[in-house]
Amino acid sequence: MTIKIRMRGKSKNGIAEVKALIKHPMESGVRMNKKTGKPYPAKFIDTLEVLVNDAKAVDAEWSGAVSANPYMAVKVKANAGDNVTVNLTDNTGETGSETITLK
Amino acid sequence: MKRRLFLKNTLATGAAVVAANAGLLTPTSVLADWNKAAFSAKTTDEALNGAFGSANATESGDIKLKAPAIAENGAVTPVTVDASAIDGVESIAILASKNPQPLVCQYNFGAAAEGYVSTRIKMGETMNVIAVVKAGGKLLKAQQEVKVTIGGCGG
Repeated sequence: MTIKIRMRGKSKNGIAEVKALIKHPMESGVRMNKKTGKPYPAKFIDTLEVLVNDAKAVDAEWSGAVSANPYMAVKVKANAGDNVTVNLTDNTGETGSETITLK
Repeated sequence: MKRRLFLKNTLATGAAVVAANAGLLTPTSVLADWNKAAFSAKTTDEALNGAFGSANATESGDIKLKAPAIAENGAVTPVTVDASAIDGVESIAILASKNPQPLVCQYNFGAAAEGYVSTRIKMGETMNVIAVVKAGGKLLKAQQEVKVTIGGCGG
């Protein structure tokens, strides 16, 4: 199953704020299941990258302390019509990718 | 209790953690290489050493750190770090000082990006949010206390 990403981005004066909402449980591996007394297994997005026209602009590493269904915004140098892509992977190997064209 | 949790987690992640602790982990993955040593560190200083190789950051007024003074729900604390006033920002890390593993996330920027990050993080209790910015080989930081009324770690 791939991870769902919703993205939006608008360029103003050559700088675009790119916002992404990701559907993911972000289970840190620390939270206890009170019924079994064992922690829920860790499942969180650990690496993420933002590409502008296929060139890497930002790469990020996350821990399980990023909120569930993460929201992220970054600013990149890009103009209207440029393609911005977000690629991400979680610690279980699931991946997600989404590309938008900037307004 | 915390000690027990820690042991369990260590066992769960097993050999990888041992390798990271021994400094044997070599980066191989295609995406950014997940820095296990920094992310599993228990103190902010250890985390910074793991992430940047140094914990010696100076306070800077050029970093705009936006976080709520009071977070009603610690599981979704909005945090924005704006370091676009600083030239040549290479990296931004966000840390929550009293979380079991303080390092929350780290962003590395290429030439096509501005030093700006906005995200939402989990905080277990009232603590400081610390933004550390690496620019021109120097470490700069800004911090703010966030009061948490409901914890974000399943409490």
